[in-house]
Amino acid sequence: MTQYELDDAGVVVIIGSGAGGGTLAHELTRRGVDVVLLEAGKHLTAEDFVNDEWGGYEMLSWLDKRTASGDWRVARDHPATPSWSCQVVGGTTTHWSGCCYRLIADEMRARTVYGDIPGASLIDWPITLDELEPYYDLAEAKMGVTRTNGLPGLPANNNFKVMYAGASALGLHASTGRQAINPIPYDGRPATIQDGFTVTGDKVGSRWSTLNVEIPRALATGKLELRPQSRAVLIEHDQAGKASGVVYVDAAGTRHRQKARAVVLAGNCVESSRLLLHSASGLFPQGLANGHGNVGRYYLRHIIQTVWSVFDKPVNMHRGEIMTGVVNDFVRHDPARGFAGGYYVELNSMGLPTTAAFLDPGWWGRDFAGVIERYAHIAGMLLSGEDMPQAGNCITLTDELDAFGVPVANIHYDEHPNDLKMRSHGYKSMVAIHQAAGAKRSIEAPAYPASHNLGSNRMSARAEDGVLDGHGRAHEVPNLFIADGSAFATGGACNPTLTIVALAIRQADFMAGQMAAGAL
Amino acid sequence: MEGIKAHKDPKLPPPIEVAEGPEWVEALTLLDRDVAHTLLAAARTLYPHDGLPERVYRRVVLHFDRMAAHSPAAAQSFAEFVDRVDAAMPLPFRELSESYRVAVLKGMETSAAFRLVQRSTVRFLYDDVEVWQAFGYEGASVHLGGYATRGFNDLDWLPDPPAGI
Ligand SMILES: Cc1cc2nc3c(=O)[nH]c(=O)nc-3n(C[C@H](O)[C@H](O)[C@H](O)COP(=O)(O)OP(=O)(O)OC[C@H]3O[C@@H](n4cnc5c(N)ncnc54)[C@H](O)[C@@H]3O)c2cc1C
Repeated sequence: MTQYELDDAGVVVIIGSGAGGGTLAHELTRRGVDVVLLEAGKHLTAEDFVNDEWGGYEMLSWLDKRTASGDWRVARDHPATPSWSCQVVGGTTTHWSGCCYRLIADEMRARTVYGDIPGASLIDWPITLDELEPYYDLAEAKMGVTRTNGLPGLPANNNFKVMYAGASALGLHASTGRQAINPIPYDGRPATIQDGFTVTGDKVGSRWSTLNVEIPRALATGKLELRPQSRAVLIEHDQAGKASGVVYVDAAGTRHRQKARAVVLAGNCVESSRLLLHSASGLFPQGLANGHGNVGRYYLRHIIQTVWSVFDKPVNMHRGEIMTGVVNDFVRHDPARGFAGGYYVELNSMGLPTTAAFLDPGWWGRDFAGVIERYAHIAGMLLSGEDMPQAGNCITLTDELDAFGVPVANIHYDEHPNDLKMRSHGYKSMVAIHQAAGAKRSIEAPAYPASHNLGSNRMSARAEDGVLDGHGRAHEVPNLFIADGSAFATGGACNPTLTIVALAIRQADFMAGQMAAGAL
Repeated sequence: MEGIKAHKDPKLPPPIEVAEGPEWVEALTLLDRDVAHTLLAAARTLYPHDGLPERVYRRVVLHFDRMAAHSPAAAQSFAEFVDRVDAAMPLPFRELSESYRVAVLKGMETSAAFRLVQRSTVRFLYDDVEVWQAFGYEGASVHLGGYATRGFNDLDWLPDPPAGI
């Protein structure tokens, strides 16, 4: 592997190797840019992964302490792990279940289309869908998204048969949807064997991840140095206010300072905001790039909730790919529903260990036992919908320091009335689908720890409304970028990874262009 | 459950050994035997599956024992939990009938000690391969070729969706 000197100020330093950072590393190195990729986690391989829900969770997850406040139920149910992501080379793309949908034009003009919603701080994206579409095309091609680039859809599994029967009976439209999981061999990766364990690393490698696609290709360019087990703890700047390097701690606990031509944060939202806030200085007293106080603010986590229903006959939802189903009827903004924004109903399955843990985290007694005993007869669905950005929903630093001397982050989230209306509408839709397929009992399960972390360093046309411009570059620091979901101006409804990848490719184009022009 | 076979990933350690007789408590490393018996009664009251054998609940308590050996804070919480449930009624918790045990637990649902015992019971009970077998969760599959030819689409009590939907 190529190695760069710590005082080589010609490298771009990327923090985090997940969907955003791993993709950007590949897209920059293939354009000839020198990149150092700092990743807090270990470099694991398919050999290391296990087919075991808790075993995989403990191997891959970001388990460092966080705290939570606000009226969201996650603060009660998961007070020390309110957000769910991974700490490993490949980030949460080692764990995700591969659903890939595009934002729609209305979602990128949320303020204009939804109007002025009291208590919400909506803005329009500084870029349009037209500008993003060519990058969606590139992202779908590299990820091998089903139903694009000549790939078929994934086949219907048992859980989908239930969703389809219920949705069709109600006149709704269900399909197996789009995933970055191979139905047939594609791009050197095999077809799925329907093992049901993409979320514990994916031993088979049929699902796209930055671990199995982007990072090996970036390394093959000879332009990337990947430094696993390297925890960034501070971003430094020069007297002119430009980012100059990153301080990080290696596996042995030794501190290093890597100089940089440009710095990109891709630590999955909470970590990116935390690092910016922690990197306060005389020039940036409120935190780096935080002159307007927007770093950490407008945190979004989507409306996520699940419904689990018990049927007379077996479903065996654990067999096969987890999220191969979608009902698209509630995606568009429709004021007649009484709330702004839309949602996707998606297929979802879990094994017995996590179904029991997430069904309703405080629930115990004979009623719970009677439901969970019927595990083989349970079908599941998940809702992913747009939540409202609010100024008070934010990531802040607490007084407690972690093992690296960085303050532990607190995530504050209060639900907006619009969020609650969408939740209620969504539960009714999901329960109706299962009931129409013959469900005997449906359980409205709460959100699990936030898996779609967005918005806390948002893009905005005007500097006072956000942190970044339309290329994910800090308004206040011209060589500081963000490549993760915290850059989203608003959340949209769909699972965010395809958009994170598309934005990262677009950002690589911009950065390489600026470098070629001598402007970066 | 008949017709299925539950598998743990072959890379993972085998389940904790537990004796069938009263000598099972000899496997405890840290927890006091009385404490262990009380926790056993609590686990069974929290998640009562009449069809499951005693040994799966014993394995849960042996996991608690490992947690306690690993973390003094956890050991402290287990001790507190047992003190509270035993002090709640004129009889020790494990001698109470089920409805009284339920009432005692309901009375302390918001405490940190209850939360630890309840969450940890879920964590270990439903991760037990014998429980998987009983409730029909087949578990690890890659080493068996996945479910592509082992029933991922064998549900036959609803019409099949159109091909390619
Ligand atoms: C259970 C689950 C299922 C999901 N399924 C889907 C799905 O079907 N579709 C979808 O679109 N999305 C899904 N997601 C969400 C998806 O995983 C994320 O949107 C995506 O991975 C986010 O990309 P990222 O680059 O922001 O962060 P990540 O992929 O999380 O990568 C961040 C990386 O940064 C590293 N890092 C953080 N801080 C530091 C630091 N200080 N120093 C060094 N390294 C650091 C982390 O260790 C991590 O490796 C799912 C998430 C979960 C939890």
